[in-house]
Amino acid sequence: LGRIRASLGGTGERTPSPDAPDLPRSQPVADPAVLFAERAGLVGVHVEPVALEALPDRVARWCAERGVRRVLTWEIAELGPVREALERAGVTGVPADAPLADRAAADGGITGADWGIAETGTLVLSTDPARPRLASLLPPRHLAVIRREQIISDLPALFERCGVLPSALTLITGPSRSADIGFVPVLGAHGPMDVTVFVV
Amino acid sequence: MSASSRTDAIDIVGNSERALRDPQLAQALGTALPALRRMRSAAAAQVPEWESLRAVAAQAKDHALAHLDLHLTRLEARIAALGGHVHWAADAGDARRIIVDLARSRAVRRIVKSKSMVTEEIHLNPALEAAGITVVETDLGEYVVQLAGETPSHIVAPIAHKTAASVADLFVEKLGMARSEKPEEMTRAARAALRAEFLAADMGISGVNFAIAETGTVVIVENEGNARLSTTAPRVHVAVMGIEKVLPRLADLGVLLRLLARSATGQRASVYVSMITGPRRPGEHDGPDELHLVLVDNGRTRLLADPSLRDALRCIRCGACLNVCPVFERVGGHAYGSVYGGPIGAVLTPALDGIERAGELPFASSLCGACAEVCPVKIDLPRMLLELRHRAVRAGMVGVVDRAFARVWTALMRSPARLSALTALARIVQRVLVRRGRIERLPYPFDGWTRYRTAPPLAATSFRSWWVSRRREGGGGGTRA
Repeated sequence: LGRIRASLGGTGERTPSPDAPDLPRSQPVADPAVLFAERAGLVGVHVEPVALEALPDRVARWCAERGVRRVLTWEIAELGPVREALERAGVTGVPADAPLADRAAADGGITGADWGIAETGTLVLSTDPARPRLASLLPPRHLAVIRREQIISDLPALFERCGVLPSALTLITGPSRSADIGFVPVLGAHGPMDVTVFVV
Repeated sequence: MSASSRTDAIDIVGNSERALRDPQLAQALGTALPALRRMRSAAAAQVPEWESLRAVAAQAKDHALAHLDLHLTRLEARIAALGGHVHWAADAGDARRIIVDLARSRAVRRIVKSKSMVTEEIHLNPALEAAGITVVETDLGEYVVQLAGETPSHIVAPIAHKTAASVADLFVEKLGMARSEKPEEMTRAARAALRAEFLAADMGISGVNFAIAETGTVVIVENEGNARLSTTAPRVHVAVMGIEKVLPRLADLGVLLRLLARSATGQRASVYVSMITGPRRPGEHDGPDELHLVLVDNGRTRLLADPSLRDALRCIRCGACLNVCPVFERVGGHAYGSVYGGPIGAVLTPALDGIERAGELPFASSLCGACAEVCPVKIDLPRMLLELRHRAVRAGMVGVVDRAFARVWTALMRSPARLSALTALARIVQRVLVRRGRIERLPYPFDGWTRYRTAPPLAATSFRSWWVSRRREGGGGGTRA
């Protein structure tokens, strides 16, 4: 720290932040949900509008279509009916405090999302005891459920409203990918290869 | 330029000659770099306010650097309040000691690492291995580099120097997989091997793209998910960052993340941005029990104190300047003999390692200016390369022949009469050199120019005399263009 101060030299610059530049403000978009679906689609995310009443059955069908038998889920109240429907459909929920190897054996992850960013088609996921980070990461398939009004225009809009940060705030734009070998894009490098968003 | 006296000096000329003889390198770079360039330009063109974003980003980074001490102490206080730990490392040795001690004192046996240039810079892996700890690189490109016993050759694309076929050979040898040249099958094999490492690791080590002083947040940007796994699954997370990465406000990310993703890989947004604020909180089921942030100086304060080079600390390691550099495209990252290659490497390496070791690097540039045009934080790289050339000359690193040549050249170019006399003479001399319309070989001491390329002959008339005669003939349009 002493070296940093010496390098900055003198005392003239030691007052805090009078010259921090103004940053561009968020730019509103006409219909964030429509733009979100378009942009997320461009990076390979399947986005589908689902009515609230139809959500539990639709999620159960999502599991059936993909052969998903064991799921890591967020334990949030909004997903209560979804978890019940999955139980009826014979899909096993892996507890969030199960040994890591058991959690890694799940073949689907079902989460909510705190925000969606329209400009980039990005999901923003918070963390707390009911919102484990690994649910959107370990399984090869990830389904996120978001309410239409949670979709905002851009990154500046997120930083204007995200408030006190959780231990991890994760921005997810499409399936995990790598183009390291031969410059050929491959999905599912380490995280999910298949990402679906149901907009309620 | 002639060699310096230091035995560990980087021999960019020799390295480049070796690189130019490697057809596989040319094929690999010729695939990756043009694609990266195309994607970057397309992504930048989608943003109408691109130029003003660059200007704001440069200002934001300048502001952060001008108050670096304040932001870093604020960051430290915030992270401590969240239950994390901040360590200060003056140089590479300090940083290695801190991290090895952390691993030892926590009985760590296995470490997973996500991509981090600063850990390359401090040569962390050999130090951990010497302490008997297994370290596995988990970014796919870095994993390949580690299996091959090489070093990354590009800030963003570590195996930009390797073809799919050479990775296939490596995977057959090291992973025992059935030979496949399909990137998809190779990526699957690496995913399976590395998944086991994530589940078994006691510690995860990551780099840091940005750290936010006001919130105590470490921001990590990636596409694969290996950084998320490295920072979530193991019980200890160690994040390593250069001191220049701190930003005062969360809102600064709104500008810098946009520029980084588009400049690096032409994406609107990188797949994963992890904003980590402290270790796991009570009741949470995943995330590390301990979070450590290691702040590395390792020469950066020298840059900070250097008015002509300080702007280089704005760098957000997007790699765009590498992708557009005509020298980098031909010789690749390894020729620079340092962790950082390309134009930014030719500035950072002499600045961080010393002009004696790396004084030749700034000469490995045509000063075409493409790097400055694409830099998302507007670092004036050509000006810095020139400045470092001056310093190399003052340090006596440039040989007698080169100095004499430069003096004669300066004298000739200063006077139009001398220049036209010189070109008239050259037109006579070139008669014996031109073969099939090209100059294929120049005599000593100019032979270096034609070792790997031919040169066009001088035109029969110079532009200057053509222009004059054209005006004399009264050829209308030309004068008003």
